[in-house]
Amino acid sequence: MKAYIAKRLAWTFFATWVTLTITFILMDLSPISASGAEFVDQQVQAGMDADEARELYEEQLGYGDTMWDRYVNFMVGLATLDWGLSTTYNQPVVDVIANSWIYSFQYVFPATVISVVLGFAIGLYSATHQYTREDYAATLFAFTGISLPNFWFAIMLILIFGVYLGWFPIFYSTEHGLLSLENAHQLVLPVVVLSTSAIASEMRYARAESLEYVHAEFVKTARAKGLSEGQVTVRHIFRPAMVPLITILVGDILGLLFAGGYVIEVIFQIPGLGLVSYEAIIQQDMPLVLATVLVPVFIAIIGNLIQDLCYTILDPRIDFGDR
Amino acid sequence: MTEQPLLSIRDLKTHFHTDDGVVKAVDGVSFDVHRGETVCIVGESGSGKSVTSESITQLIPMPPGEIVEGSVYYDGNDITTMTEDGVRSLRGSQIGHVFQNPQGALNPVYTVGYQIREAILSHRDVSKAEARELAVELLEEVGIPEAPTRVDDYPHEFSGGMKQRVVIAIALACDPEMLIADEPTTALDVTIEAQILDLFRHLQQELDMSIIFITHDLGVVAEIADRVVVMYAGKVMETGSVEKIFENPAHPYTKALLECLPGQAGLEPIPGALPSVTDPPNGCRFHDRCPYAIDMCRTGEQPPLHDLPGDHAVSCIHYEDGDGDLPELEDVDRMDAAIGGAR
Repeated sequence: MKAYIAKRLAWTFFATWVTLTITFILMDLSPISASGAEFVDQQVQAGMDADEARELYEEQLGYGDTMWDRYVNFMVGLATLDWGLSTTYNQPVVDVIANSWIYSFQYVFPATVISVVLGFAIGLYSATHQYTREDYAATLFAFTGISLPNFWFAIMLILIFGVYLGWFPIFYSTEHGLLSLENAHQLVLPVVVLSTSAIASEMRYARAESLEYVHAEFVKTARAKGLSEGQVTVRHIFRPAMVPLITILVGDILGLLFAGGYVIEVIFQIPGLGLVSYEAIIQQDMPLVLATVLVPVFIAIIGNLIQDLCYTILDPRIDFGDR
Repeated sequence: MTEQPLLSIRDLKTHFHTDDGVVKAVDGVSFDVHRGETVCIVGESGSGKSVTSESITQLIPMPPGEIVEGSVYYDGNDITTMTEDGVRSLRGSQIGHVFQNPQGALNPVYTVGYQIREAILSHRDVSKAEARELAVELLEEVGIPEAPTRVDDYPHEFSGGMKQRVVIAIALACDPEMLIADEPTTALDVTIEAQILDLFRHLQQELDMSIIFITHDLGVVAEIADRVVVMYAGKVMETGSVEKIFENPAHPYTKALLECLPGQAGLEPIPGALPSVTDPPNGCRFHDRCPYAIDMCRTGEQPPLHDLPGDHAVSCIHYEDGDGDLPELEDVDRMDAAIGGAR
């Protein structure tokens, strides 16, 4: 087991290195950016020759060196948390990330918890009550939730509950303290939008995986022992279904939340990682774009590591000892 | 036998509501199981043996299954009128179950010790440590070597026969008075089958349990049964002591089954197939495949169980007067003609 964890960790570092290297090569090969053009423009207006200005810019970015030197610079910078300067914010990229992640986390975390708990609970109920009215209702909800485009759903909610009914603010304000009631109040709509689609997809997965075990022979054994329906459902249907669900969980939730995050933060004007990333792309603020892309990549890599370690605990038949 | 039977099934009807219509899997079955005896239910696949056994403690999925009629008296109380909780308190504590496929009967993600403890803790007020000790004792009782260490192993670390022993240990966890074993040896190879049958015999002598043993293997019946219930297409064809059934079979179906046994006479298959369960034929369910069938067999209902001398009853019109025998094959047509003339 220890050897497996060590190997798995080594693989995590390797995967991270590969990701970073590919990112570097792509960045390095791409032509001068809009912000570079702007810089050159400014220098020319200040009386500098255009070619000199371009050289100055490239020098600042480290283009005077060989590709290998730039690569080493890039990797050392990443490792020492020197991720460059954001031209949009006039701040080190690390500071921008440090200031914005909490705004994403404050609604992504509750949405994740809500969607996993509710999604699994509804899915399990649907599986144990297959083809009942409640199951059909849950299925209808799931298909609706999956089909609704996030941006449209968010706008509709703002229109109905923000504009017409006035129950919720129509955009996010950073004036309230993060732990204040007002802040929780203004996060209701974003959380609803984000969790609706996530609940729907978790529910369908949970239903499908649990159905595998609803008619399993060991479930009959469990009933024959005299266990209650609740015990049978949780211990003998949900617990074995957890193994495949964990696989889906990390990838699926991550995708949903980060992709959903962009849309939601732009629509609700939440200054989180999504909005920062969106603006960085629009402004061609390359160091910041890179950083906002790498954060989810790191989370995905760590998430997969945790998921692989969970397997060995969840399913005793999986033994990585000899791999 | 004058004492009250431990289990008494009366006119049990279990139907399944499916898209293709109502499947009458069990259609009016009655038999008794006395304390300390082994009753074998025999019949071919699809005859309703398993559904009968799972109807006793209502393990059939409901819906689509439904016990539409009849009673199951356990120790004098009708289980079919009990609440969900009432039935559950019987399962595992009074009535243990062993199923056909040991590969699937254990949950792969829990240790066998956990799965035995679960049965103990749901009916008995003991600590977890005590339950664990009981689990080790049970594993020893069913013949698992090195039980104190094996108790923490997972099902995939056991062979098929060993898994079935674990399933039996779970069934025995709360000292039940009755064990229902649904083809417990069918999925095992022959040497293991013999060991498991020995275990059943041994346990019954030791614990004085009643056993309902379901099988399609008459060889197993001969080895283990005190009494036999022969089922066909959801109905009981014949019941009786194991001696009566083997030495003096009355029903044509039982006779045909015995001729399917490998022996001196050579194998004799039963022509035809089971009748439709959604739309069973009139009269005797077996008439279509029965060489002794006369016109009377093809109308009305399945004949009632006629008592024969000794512990023996048969559902066949040829025994209407309480004894008698099947007619000679060449007489069958003549009988039809005679009755046809009277009609």
